Amino acid sequence: MIESILYYFNQTEVIKTIVTLGSMGLFFVGLFGLLSQRHIIKVFISIGIMEIAVFIFFIGLSFQRGLTAPMLGDAHTTFIQMNDPIPHAMILTAIVIGMAVLALGISFAIEYYKLTGKNRLDEMNEMKN
Amino acid sequence: MSSIYFIALPLLFGFATPILAKFGKNGIAYSSILLQVALFVLSLQLFVTMDRSIIEVIAIAPPLGIGFVVNSISLFFVMLFTFFILMASLYYLKLRKLNPYPNEAKFFILINMLLASTIGLVLSSDIFNIYVFFEIAGISAYILSAYRKTPKALEAGLKYLLTGAVASIFLVFAIALLYLHLGTLNLALISQGFTALDSDIKLLISLFLLIGFGLKVEIFPLNFWVTDIYEGSDAFTDALFSAVVVKAYLFVFFHLLYLFLPNKEFTLFLLYLGAVSMLIAEVIALRQNNLKRIFAYSSLGQVGLLFVAFSMQDVISISAGLYILLAHSLAKMVLFLSLASLFEHYKNEDISLLKEMNSPFLRNVIIISMLSLLGIPLLAGFVGKFLLLKTVAFYGLFGLLGLLILSALIESIYYFKIIGLLLIKKETKEQFHPSTLQKFVLLVLTLGVIFVGVAPFAISDFMATSASVMLDTQSYQNLLLGAN
Repeated sequence: MIESILYYFNQTEVIKTIVTLGSMGLFFVGLFGLLSQRHIIKVFISIGIMEIAVFIFFIGLSFQRGLTAPMLGDAHTTFIQMNDPIPHAMILTAIVIGMAVLALGISFAIEYYKLTGKNRLDEMNEMKN
Repeated sequence: MSSIYFIALPLLFGFATPILAKFGKNGIAYSSILLQVALFVLSLQLFVTMDRSIIEVIAIAPPLGIGFVVNSISLFFVMLFTFFILMASLYYLKLRKLNPYPNEAKFFILINMLLASTIGLVLSSDIFNIYVFFEIAGISAYILSAYRKTPKALEAGLKYLLTGAVASIFLVFAIALLYLHLGTLNLALISQGFTALDSDIKLLISLFLLIGFGLKVEIFPLNFWVTDIYEGSDAFTDALFSAVVVKAYLFVFFHLLYLFLPNKEFTLFLLYLGAVSMLIAEVIALRQNNLKRIFAYSSLGQVGLLFVAFSMQDVISISAGLYILLAHSLAKMVLFLSLASLFEHYKNEDISLLKEMNSPFLRNVIIISMLSLLGIPLLAGFVGKFLLLKTVAFYGLFGLLGLLILSALIESIYYFKIIGLLLIKKETKEQFHPSTLQKFVLLVLTLGVIFVGVAPFAISDFMATSASVMLDTQSYQNLLLGAN
């Protein structure tokens, strides 16, 4: 019984469907947070969730079952039967960039809070003309 | 190989700052300017020696590697950006006597990062590199925006960063979809494979690109915070945003759009989006009081006009777009730089500043650049607007023509209001003279405005070549794929 369930979930199509649905669900959770929350840190968390959803979507769909990691070693001397390394390299770069941007944003938010005591986007009104 | 210098040298400058700081207080500032002069001379040299089409391509085996393409259109932008950032840095040399940025070494690193990343954006022929440069330009712009760490500046930086972070998510999404469907990041290969894709996917990718770049180029439904960003940042940084950063994003967006265009309706949509964007910006600008805000709305209007020009997909309209872009960058540079001096001197950012200011030189250059933005004949803005309206009329899009003329009329109302305030006699007040270097910078930019207006034929060949290169995606593909 359990084996047949596991076998079902181990099919490429099923895995990809789950990844797509899950990551898109996560994306909309983030989008909802971005649009509904007004606390600056919560908005940043929502942006982080959206980012992660896109990363999971990309990595999950570009992964192919049954292939090895893209590394040359004793048993593998050619680039055959290996996963595509480009999505991983891309997403690693994107994760680093995204983290840097969020860290910068939170440092802005902290400085802003220290100066004005405000931590919500709808209270930000230094410019009212 | 010389195009790599445009990106590598400004980035390496950051690592050299600890050494340069040892050469005294001005070491970093002067070496930064020296670097920018060198890059500008290099771009001029490339311009002189080019054979009017393609100069060089650096590519490591096309399907995999990094590529930089220097053709006449990307060289146009490289010259533009190095020139404007050089001018801004020269202007800052005197501005720093009045009110320097704290921790100047960082400031110069950021300026050079901005230079490297905007040039990288226009030269890259690999969509993931475009994403990386997109982010570098974004991050340096956020920090420049919030640099003063006043509540206003921090609010502007936060808003810029939030919109930028959302923009980058949509760009990554578009890139992920492209890679999943086509298995490549190379622009030429994407361009080849794109037509065979399902039309829904094509539209989805284009929409994500539009959202990603639209948040950066200040197009209508996505520009709700742009004016706050302009108002909160320094006028000096606004000059860079308006003349350099936005232009880089705008060019890359249309470059990508031409390479993988979903369908005809999408460009028609962009055409009207641009026109509506312009109209709305000009209407809102009428009610503003803060000078930075007024010129921010005018920037939004001009971006709308540029959207119209680039969406027409016609050689004449694209060269019109390039003229408008050049004229707008020159004029906004003059306006924001002179405002930076005036704000420092009078400590007033409202429109009432114009009543109390007494500075004949600044008044004259401001008036000339505003008249150019309006499109008065014999000034730079006229050429582009005239060509564009001619093309729009030629294609029989009279509704669009009406929208554009209406927004130009509304634009003229508040422009003439400002010019009227500038022309009030103020002999009683003490005169304010900018320093000689600042006068020189503003004079060079204003002479540029007049030169392009009086003798547009001097560069019309180059503009037409650039426009046809931008439109000719087939030769771009051949160039990139046959380059190794």
